[in-house]
Amino acid sequence: MSIAEPVDLDALAPSLPWWRRLVRDPAAFLALIVLTIIVLCAIFAPLISPHDPYASSRAVMQPPVWSDRGAWLHPFGTDGQGRDILSRIFYGTRLTLLIGLVSVGLGGVLGSLLGLLAAFRPRLDPWVMRLVDVMLSFPAILLGLALVAVFGPGAIPVMIALAIATVPDCARIARSIAVSVMKQEYIEAGRAVGLSDLALFTRYLLRNCISSILIFISLRFGQIILIGAALSFLGLGAKPPQAELGMMAAQGRDFLLFAPHIAVIPSVMIFVIVLAANVLGDALRDVLDPRLRS
Amino acid sequence: MMTLVLNRLIISVPVLFGVLLLGFGLLILVPGDPAIVMAGPMATPEVVAAIRTEMGLDEPVLTQFFRYLGRMAEGDLGRSLISNKTVISELGAAIGPTTELMVACLIWSIPLGIALGTLAAVWRGSITDRAIMAFSVAGVSLPIFFICLMLIHFVGVQWRLLPFIGRGGPLWTIDGLRHIALPALSLGLIFIGPVARMTRSSVLEVLRLDHVRTARAKGLSETRVILRHGLRNALIPVVTLVGLQAGYLLGGAVVTESIFSYPGIGRLAVGAILSSDFPLAQGAILILALAFILINLIVDVLYALLDPRVQTS
Repeated sequence: MSIAEPVDLDALAPSLPWWRRLVRDPAAFLALIVLTIIVLCAIFAPLISPHDPYASSRAVMQPPVWSDRGAWLHPFGTDGQGRDILSRIFYGTRLTLLIGLVSVGLGGVLGSLLGLLAAFRPRLDPWVMRLVDVMLSFPAILLGLALVAVFGPGAIPVMIALAIATVPDCARIARSIAVSVMKQEYIEAGRAVGLSDLALFTRYLLRNCISSILIFISLRFGQIILIGAALSFLGLGAKPPQAELGMMAAQGRDFLLFAPHIAVIPSVMIFVIVLAANVLGDALRDVLDPRLRS
Repeated sequence: MMTLVLNRLIISVPVLFGVLLLGFGLLILVPGDPAIVMAGPMATPEVVAAIRTEMGLDEPVLTQFFRYLGRMAEGDLGRSLISNKTVISELGAAIGPTTELMVACLIWSIPLGIALGTLAAVWRGSITDRAIMAFSVAGVSLPIFFICLMLIHFVGVQWRLLPFIGRGGPLWTIDGLRHIALPALSLGLIFIGPVARMTRSSVLEVLRLDHVRTARAKGLSETRVILRHGLRNALIPVVTLVGLQAGYLLGGAVVTESIFSYPGIGRLAVGAILSSDFPLAQGAILILALAFILINLIVDVLYALLDPRVQTS
């Protein structure tokens, strides 16, 4: 038996731009296409939805087109209130993605700034890290429960909770990357030529850390989407009549026996989004920054 | 060893303080009069007034906080607005079932995850490896409520193999086992993926080390090399994974308990929030936060026990 590493020639070919190396990986390429289509559908939901996602009709629990009694009028069938599932999927994906993006974006920016500051100003470092340690002891789901307990169910408390939950991990990663960047000679050189702290921070430190931080955030995106959807499933997140994928799955729960598609279609949609995000995040990391592996 | 445990306990103090602050903050942040929130919308003005004096709401915030700490130390978390039982007794009844669910989940998913991860590492690059890794990526991408719903639909409703509502009794009874099977299966399925991934990369790392080469050179059989010299050392990071993923597991438990109507802390928390039973929600969140800290403490100590290098460093 040999445990010799299979040599990955693509990884050794830095002459290729990173996106060329990325699309050479068939799984990553597929994930990229799927994610692009999903994002486009979410953005243009009002234009491409065949029906009003909130309008109920008398055609309740219509099966999807691939089952015997399905019809093209409602390709994914209708839910328990006769609403068109395809249109609700477009709108629901929109809200689900929005919750994920806003949380990861807000938390990512805040966390990175904290981490970068800790590396840039070593005096702040112990304080920032203690804060991060305390924040780390509140898992995302607990923060979600706590904020919803205070402000009542809704998409906004969930977004705030998930954003706060993203801060500590992101701060840690940003700090560890920034500490190694701060040791580089060009930082010293920047200081020597008399750059202001602000310029040193934005033009030298931030620019050299940003890609690794973005990769880390992309790896967290899938998890955040799952937690957000789970909270909505429990009735703690998005409120009806809004369409949100987790909530749509919850609404299909009572019809599981007669019309399983009402719960299955939104759940599969979440799975596809998160799977594509995870595969793409992994591939991006391997191509751009193998240091983050482990 | 003792110093390590002590150190770890000292680090837990600010965290514990943070948790208590969170519990206090919940009450301060809640829109409206905290006394009315604690007493519930149905309470008479007299009850509200009594609670106001008890909590010292007319006094400065700092005094309120110390009073709150005092009540916490006595285990006084108030009464549930719905059942009128003390929050402590409600939580006490739910801790056992949640612990059982965690045990029932970890007891099968960790060994299976380790086995799958080891196989993937040993047959690196093979179809088996790819299949196991694809399975684990799919596992971490599946919404847990979907797994629960599918298990209920097929195993519970269509094939009528197992019950899917509530708890049958303690874990050691047949009925208890039958009732916990589906929730533990759902929760375990989302946990296998991370365990398998971690085991795989950790085994791969260990198999590269000198002592493994020496073991091979001694002429030990490959199975023996992998089990005795590879896996044994590779298991250490897997222990930390349980700590790292405790939050993930906790979230899964909240969803699983709610779907299977399993009477644990997670379901208690969600139910309390949905019915605006603030005292119970506050207590459940505090207990979950404490559990999270405790799990991480135990994991850290276990880690030091397994890996002598941690103690010296």
